[in-house]
Amino acid sequence: MSNGAGSGPSGVITRTYKAGSIIYFENDKSEYIYILKSGKVVLTSVKLDSGEEVKEEVREGEFFGVKSALGKYPREETAQTLTNTLVLVLTPADFERLVLRNANVVRKMLRVFSNQLRRIVKMERSVLGEGEIVNPDAELFKIGEYYYKVGDTKHAQYAYKRYMEYYADGEKADMAMKRIRAIDAGEPAPDDIGGPDEGPPSAQPQARPVDRGDDFSLDDQGGPSDMIDFDDSSDDRDSRQVASSTALEDEMDDFLSDDTSGGLDDFSLDDAVSGNTPKDLSGAADASFSRGNYTTALDLYQKIISMNRTSSAEDKKLFEKAHFDAGRCYMEMAKPKEALDMFSRILRSFPDSPYMKLAIYHLGLLFESVNQKDKAITYFNKVLNMTPKDKLNSEALTKIKQLQGK
Amino acid sequence: MAMALDEKFFEKFGVEYAPKEIIFCEWEPGNEFYFIQSGNVRIVKLIQNREKNLSVLTDGDVFGEMAILEEQPRSATAIALDHVKLLKFHRDNFDTLMSGNPALAYKLLVIFSKRIYDAKRRLMILLLEEPQLKIMDVLVMLAEQDPHLDLQQEITLQVTSQDVARWAGLTEGDAQKELTHLSRTDKIELFGDKIVVKKIREFQRLVASRRKSMYQ
Repeated sequence: MSNGAGSGPSGVITRTYKAGSIIYFENDKSEYIYILKSGKVVLTSVKLDSGEEVKEEVREGEFFGVKSALGKYPREETAQTLTNTLVLVLTPADFERLVLRNANVVRKMLRVFSNQLRRIVKMERSVLGEGEIVNPDAELFKIGEYYYKVGDTKHAQYAYKRYMEYYADGEKADMAMKRIRAIDAGEPAPDDIGGPDEGPPSAQPQARPVDRGDDFSLDDQGGPSDMIDFDDSSDDRDSRQVASSTALEDEMDDFLSDDTSGGLDDFSLDDAVSGNTPKDLSGAADASFSRGNYTTALDLYQKIISMNRTSSAEDKKLFEKAHFDAGRCYMEMAKPKEALDMFSRILRSFPDSPYMKLAIYHLGLLFESVNQKDKAITYFNKVLNMTPKDKLNSEALTKIKQLQGK
Repeated sequence: MAMALDEKFFEKFGVEYAPKEIIFCEWEPGNEFYFIQSGNVRIVKLIQNREKNLSVLTDGDVFGEMAILEEQPRSATAIALDHVKLLKFHRDNFDTLMSGNPALAYKLLVIFSKRIYDAKRRLMILLLEEPQLKIMDVLVMLAEQDPHLDLQQEITLQVTSQDVARWAGLTEGDAQKELTHLSRTDKIELFGDKIVVKKIREFQRLVASRRKSMYQ
């Protein structure tokens, strides 16, 4: 099946497939997890409710085969290549090592998995007809009634008290209060308790959205296949501030980037960032920063700083940028002194730097964050008077007004 | 993962429960999820006004994890069986917690993978049309879940007919009717607390072919 396999220094296997090959079949049992490096892979699965065939294309950099490998159950889809394809093959242990080094990847996968789980559980409920109820308050009260009735007063008391805690103005509040007192007084449950119908159904107050089955469709299931996909995927790689909207795809691209100097076979879990030029480091650092991995980002920016390369214009710019971004990392990590040091270095050493104005602005932010209003205003004032005027000038003005207003 | 993070974590997130104490109750709003450090927790649900055991969880298990997703009432009640030590995490800390503890996040990832499969598997049963097939598929599912069973042989499943009814989404009466029928035709033997299946492979084949033709 495989036309070629190679094992990198770390033991991670890369495999090449010709177009039309099957990587795995539905119902196969296998512990392997794949990352599509290049080429095209299509996952074909059958929809649970309609029997319809669903095809999904894996995007480069994406994982597939994750759930069945981790959950130790048979594949739910068939994975077939459309073109000549290169994949990385991971064992669960490799995968664990990889994701443990990148908390954000796990976190995002977790979000995807939990959304899938929620959808399926919802379908299950709707098929069972359990979606039609529900006033949680009335139901919670019923739990109390049940336990009271069977003589488990401790559990009953728990439910009634929770009712009072969450639904103090609920329809059953008076009753719940009465029950709590009765139990405290050691009274046995009244005979008419917990019948199948206790009065008219309560009107729906602030009840949670009722699962009527119409707020989702079976189509919404996204296919039962085992591919990581993000609803919030964003193509805008420059939106570094919006870390949460970075698609996993992008992350994996960063992770497995071709820009790095090593070839694929050199890809190793311990060396995800294999480039050694300031440019490589800077790219990796920015990616880490955008994901909120400030410690990693900081390490990389520090590396660039310690390389002290300023001979080419590009390297010089990256060198100055590294100072600025290291400062931002420190700010994020709540280390104002270190941040101050970094920004000050820019002011002292690179008076012509394109990062000058940004650094001054951030000094303002920094002093603001430690409640040194006057100093903050001084820096914002400097920004305000710098030319050429841009957005930062008006932001500085806003800051000054805010600070003076306080 | 006998977590290395336990020690320092227990100070911050640790909670303890005495035997029989309720940890949370069905329908109460759920904002926290729990990791069992030691002890056993019984998960129960009121079904048709009766308390049903759903499962017993133990060291290393996680429960209440649906609270991570959304503010939603608890779907079951968790009761301490014995002296129980738990780590309790609030949804709001989830992101921070997961960033700081990829190992815990990974564990949840594995749990979710399993739960997704289990939930899908149950859904497959519910989507079958005939009650008879639903019952068969419940038995198939239970057989598949136990890796120690030899499916070529006669197998014994530790379930009651009420359990089967619940998995199949049938009333106890309907489920009982079908089980009795299977028992009369000598496909299974019914006991109070267990069901013996003569040829589970046969059920498996029947269900599979029926499922296939359902869509055609």
